[in-house]
Amino acid sequence: MAPVLTLREVTRTFAGAGGVPLPVLRGVSAELPAGRAVAITGRSGSGKSTLLHLAAGIDAPTSGEVLLLGRSLGALPDAERTRARRDHVGLVFQFFHLLPHLSVEDNVLVPALVAGDPPGPAAARARDLLERVGLAGRARDAVQKLSGGEMQRVALCRALLRRPKLLLADEPTGNLDEANGQKVMDLLLALAREEGSAVLYVTHSRELAALADATWTLHAGRLEQGG
Amino acid sequence: MRAYLARAVGRELRAGKALFLLSVAGVALGVGAVLSIQILNGSALGAFAGTVRAVSGDADLSVLGWTGALDEALFPEVLAVRGVAAARPLWRADAVVEGRPGASLELVGADLLGAARGPSALPPAALEGALGTPGWVAVTPAWAEEMGWREGDRIDVSLGSRRARLVVGARVDFQAAAPLASRRLALMDIGQAQGLLGTRGRIHQIDVRAAPGVAPGALAERLSAALGERARVATPEQRTVEAGGLLSAFRLNLTALSLVSVLVGGFLVYASVRASLARRREELGMLRAVGATRAQVLGLVLGEAALLGILGTAAGVPLGWLAAQANVGAVSGTVRNLYLLEGIDRVALTPALVALGAATGLAGALAGALWPALDAARADPRALLASIAVEEGAGARAGRLLAAGLAALAAGLAVYALAGERLAAAGFAPAVGILVAVPLATPALLRGMGRAGLPHRLGIAYGLRSLGGRLSASAPAAGALAVAVAMLAGVTVMVGSFRDTVERWLDATLRADVYVTTPSWRRARSEATLAPEVLATLRAYPGARSVDVLRQHTGYTADGRRVQVSGVDAAVPGADGRVALVAGDAGEAMRALRERGAVLVSEPLARKAGLAPGGALALRGREGPVRFPVAGVYRDYGAEGGAVLMDLEAYARAFGPGAPSNAALTLAPGDDPERAVAALRAALPGAALQIRSNRTLRGEVLAIFEQTFAVTRLLEAMGLVIAAAGVTLSLLVLARDRRAELALYRALGASRGQLFRVFLGRGLAVGGAGLVLGLAGGGALAVVLVRAVNPAFFGWTLGISVPLRALALEALAILAAAAAASLYPALAASRTPAQELSRDAL
Repeated sequence: MAPVLTLREVTRTFAGAGGVPLPVLRGVSAELPAGRAVAITGRSGSGKSTLLHLAAGIDAPTSGEVLLLGRSLGALPDAERTRARRDHVGLVFQFFHLLPHLSVEDNVLVPALVAGDPPGPAAARARDLLERVGLAGRARDAVQKLSGGEMQRVALCRALLRRPKLLLADEPTGNLDEANGQKVMDLLLALAREEGSAVLYVTHSRELAALADATWTLHAGRLEQGG
Repeated sequence: MRAYLARAVGRELRAGKALFLLSVAGVALGVGAVLSIQILNGSALGAFAGTVRAVSGDADLSVLGWTGALDEALFPEVLAVRGVAAARPLWRADAVVEGRPGASLELVGADLLGAARGPSALPPAALEGALGTPGWVAVTPAWAEEMGWREGDRIDVSLGSRRARLVVGARVDFQAAAPLASRRLALMDIGQAQGLLGTRGRIHQIDVRAAPGVAPGALAERLSAALGERARVATPEQRTVEAGGLLSAFRLNLTALSLVSVLVGGFLVYASVRASLARRREELGMLRAVGATRAQVLGLVLGEAALLGILGTAAGVPLGWLAAQANVGAVSGTVRNLYLLEGIDRVALTPALVALGAATGLAGALAGALWPALDAARADPRALLASIAVEEGAGARAGRLLAAGLAALAAGLAVYALAGERLAAAGFAPAVGILVAVPLATPALLRGMGRAGLPHRLGIAYGLRSLGGRLSASAPAAGALAVAVAMLAGVTVMVGSFRDTVERWLDATLRADVYVTTPSWRRARSEATLAPEVLATLRAYPGARSVDVLRQHTGYTADGRRVQVSGVDAAVPGADGRVALVAGDAGEAMRALRERGAVLVSEPLARKAGLAPGGALALRGREGPVRFPVAGVYRDYGAEGGAVLMDLEAYARAFGPGAPSNAALTLAPGDDPERAVAALRAALPGAALQIRSNRTLRGEVLAIFEQTFAVTRLLEAMGLVIAAAGVTLSLLVLARDRRAELALYRALGASRGQLFRVFLGRGLAVGGAGLVLGLAGGGALAVVLVRAVNPAFFGWTLGISVPLRALALEALAILAAAAAASLYPALAASRTPAQELSRDAL
């Protein structure tokens, strides 16, 4: 079975001050099999978020290849790459990024809206996910009324709505206190396992990294894989 | 803080050139609209005053007729009055230049020998020709150049049905002393003018210079006493004030309409400043935290707005000048044809008008920025730094704003209910209430739209719905558009109602088949008469069942009101069909005209002078005031100042004998009017005549009607352009300030096309909200304009008729404009990359 995500000699270089090249990732290679959870750790500026963006097809590598379900994202035109992300990737952000003009349930439904999915099944799925994260009673509430932990649970439901093969989470607990962070992370991994999604998440916390099946550590743009 | 202001402005400019330029454009269009109208208003009065000055020079007083012309015998009487240093009789009439449509000469016949100095003074070499050459006339260099005339050229002119050949004898710059004076002025010998085109013994004006040490006011009293009721005496200033009074309603309405553009432009500034402040809350919070006072923050924001106002003014002044230039023809036509005043040849941009434009631009920009500036200045540093969601505040305010709008509407209605009967301007109060209520209702409507169910796709419908959560950027734009649409729809319904009313009035009163008048009649009125042989030919026309004739002059009521006085043959068969009475039986009224010497008064006159059937009207006659019983009030849409209709016999008794200026033939049933027109033209080859069928005349009347509203349409268009700029501005604000949201959609897999459609939907939502509220407000505004403003200012009653086709086309155009205005922001939004997803909260 092909890995969900494959990185082959991926480098990413940005233009620094005065146009000086600033390499962030240097020859990163790795594979993420289906159903597995991997934590990415590393210091600030080590390229963790960049790696996540490349995996999502939001950014393109300077060289090397990123394959999602065996398809090279770099070879796809923007529209195709966008569609691949829409259909196969779920994203969870540190700052939740919920839309304030939508209710809790409507926020969860945004990916279905983007994909143009039939509304009935999508709404049922959204309600089911909210039930599973304990927010069924808040479905019609405005998102501003939620606590930070609750907001991240809504973001998690949104990410899982379309049953992505790959769930990417950029410091999903970074904006939460320790207790809430632990709860959200447990929920994220449990739901991903139930849904069969592979998970790649960025964290600074050793404890949270220990919850993953494996750890990728970025150091000066190079990746070290751990068990 | 001044140095900081300069840097802040520079940074804002770099960050959002398009936003800044759109705001400047909004101010510029507002300034342009106001300035163009003020230039035209000023030039209309300037043309009249300039022509008075060019003709009368340094005369202190003018003796004028109450009924159009004066008996020449008055001249020696004027000269004999103590304190008169010099007097100069003038013969004046507008003659039409044959073969040149629309061209005329404003002929001044003067005693050229007696004019050693002053405006009629000619170079000695020219004087000889002026007296020795038949038809010698001096014209202005400007008019000669435009008409392609050189000295010695022959010009055929007509006055009434008479034709005469004039010779261009000299080119004299009558405009030298008064640049705004009419370039159509032409000077000839008074004796020649009377002989060729007028009547011996009839003059129109005697200019008087007071002897040294004699006050003009005292001399005017002496002259009035000496001449009694036979003439009136006025200073040049009084004549200009009178002309200003005639034009006041026309000018006021155009000014009011142009101010709407400033209001719409102010909304743009508001939206732009609000967006800028929302983005810079933290910056302001930091400034306050390090010790900047509230006043300094207020000054910073208002300083930026002032710069916007200055730049908008710099662009708006030339724009206003160009708009005025483009509309000179239409306004001049209205002033000449409807108010019988001097046309506008040249528009003047005076320093005072530039100052007015600058004040408008600055005031509009500062007023637009004031609220958000006060908001920012009032907030404490903690609140500013906390980045409190601006949208939450905007959402909560929507209900309060709606309530405030309804209160403004109620207040406008209350003012009208209390003062509408006594004060004409009170008619504007409900209009102002509507124009205030419409934008204030916009946030509530957008919020309501945001509560609609979630659509099934990320696209146009989602854009429509999501605008409810973006009130701070979208509501001002939709509000501005709603105001512009309300004005457009209101005026469209008003003009449509007016046109429909006029058409029905024409149907009811234009009953004859063929109408005969002269090309010069529109301006020269009582001087443009039909020669007896013309009338004889008309009466002898074999197909004519009856021939109706009309005499008309611009006269005065005893209390000094200027009115059109007409005499018709009340005994002619079908005379009762000539007028449409507001109430009562037309046959009965015509009998009263014939048998009792009564008059009918037009609706505007009845309203303004408080006249009603059974009352009496005193008019200035040849020998003094004459009282007429009022037999009825008739509908008339031709003379805003008022009109009086009487039987020809009563007319002759009061104003003296004279020839008619118009005739109307009713043909035998089955006769073809167009054939009759052709036959009459063939039978009267030597006379200067306009012979038109009923259908042609109707068309011409409606064309003049349309011309009257040409400027109105320009102002509406300017308002809409500003509003469309507002749509672009609001969407650019959204595209710029909501980049994180757009990036989120992209991260979640939204295509560029989807983001494009979302923004198109937002543009359509702004357009739709503006349209819905604008149409509702416009409907209400139309009722106010038709039922309150028109009767109060112009005096006529209009029926309301809704021009559905025109409104539907306008609605489509507005939605198309909103969609077009959203294309650029939509394109910009669609290019947002997913990696723009910032670490800030959405």
